[in-house]
Amino acid sequence: MLSRLSIISAAGLLAASLFAQGPGRHLSGGPQGDGDFALVRAEFGISNKVVQGAPYSAQAVTEFTQTLANGDHIQRTTTASIARDSQGRTRMDRSIATVGALSAAAGRSTRAIVIHDPVAGLSYALDPARHTGRSMLIPQSRRAGSEEAHNRHGASADRAGAKTEDLGTQVIQGMSAQGKRVTRAIPAGEEGNEKEIDIVTETWYSPDLQMVVQSKTSDPRFGDTVYQVSGLNRVEPDPALFTVPAGYSITESRTMHRPPAAQ
Amino acid sequence: MEDNRELLENLRALAADGPQGAPDSVERQLRAEFRKRSRRRRVGVWASFSGVAAMAAGIALLVWVREAPKPAAGVLAAQHDTGGSVAVEEEEADASFYPLPQAEALPAVENAMVVRVQLPVSSLRLMGFPVDEERADAAVQAELLLGQDGLARGVRLVQ
Repeated sequence: MLSRLSIISAAGLLAASLFAQGPGRHLSGGPQGDGDFALVRAEFGISNKVVQGAPYSAQAVTEFTQTLANGDHIQRTTTASIARDSQGRTRMDRSIATVGALSAAAGRSTRAIVIHDPVAGLSYALDPARHTGRSMLIPQSRRAGSEEAHNRHGASADRAGAKTEDLGTQVIQGMSAQGKRVTRAIPAGEEGNEKEIDIVTETWYSPDLQMVVQSKTSDPRFGDTVYQVSGLNRVEPDPALFTVPAGYSITESRTMHRPPAAQ
Repeated sequence: MEDNRELLENLRALAADGPQGAPDSVERQLRAEFRKRSRRRRVGVWASFSGVAAMAAGIALLVWVREAPKPAAGVLAAQHDTGGSVAVEEEEADASFYPLPQAEALPAVENAMVVRVQLPVSSLRLMGFPVDEERADAAVQAELLLGQDGLARGVRLVQ
């Protein structure tokens, strides 16, 4: 019991550290080479919805910017190639060289590919550097199209006490997008802060593509994050993108989402 | 006493390898043992130490999963709101991710990936967690739940 509590406590502390510590530091031990973490493996992919009949391919860029107490600025950018076909299969090829303020160890694998194939009922997480991957069965409840997708849009930001503003409609990357701004205030004193802290998130959602095409989060505690989808192409992507390339060694994973039949 | 210590160490090693459930081989072994027991009602099956260890490991891991605390209401809970028995299973599996502070303000997860990363134990000390000096150079594995924007929404320690 004590051991479990220790792990839980450590997880909580680790959670806080992923953002609370400043970037650019170097910790001793652990991952090989400079950096804060090393990718062990891509585990699995998760998708909250299946969108059919709205294919696309695009680039997604996430910029993380933080201003340090001495006035210095830290900026980190990660990119991803994303695609979806008419059947609702999705692919995300992402660099994970940085995760928030953490940076990956040099010389280690820093890319992961996730293929979510609701048609076959499988999800794959691939490691292109090692040509290995893990597959996972998608539960039946996640294979059908979801009408709740739009309702979930920004659900995490719509918390009690948050103020939501409608930003209207804008054309972003050639797509009509609905915007909203959610402001969540941390009252003075709640986290030892002298003044109220306002955390602002702007999200632009394309009803046509049924996805977020742009978002910006400004949190004085951690910095600013901008997520932007660019280079949108509505042509049906190459079907090969949604299959596991030849030469990969795939391990079946039952870590999550075990189907009822397997019980 | 020595046997108990060895058994505990084995259980810890198994638990560290996968906190959500026993490995397939252990599960298969458990099922086989149960079938044998119900059909033949033989006591001899339990004579094997490895069988007992596997059973204990399975029970320990099941207890671990079932007793795992629910996360604070937030991002992760909001994503997994499907009904039925599958949702319960997902809830159990996902429950061990701890929402990150910054994730509260981020857009909802549409497509996500979970990656397992290795962090130095010394990083825990920097967070105020007591770390044995002899193990400061060791590494700890954690799983990060990344959203479509590559930002971490949740974390859980594997070891």
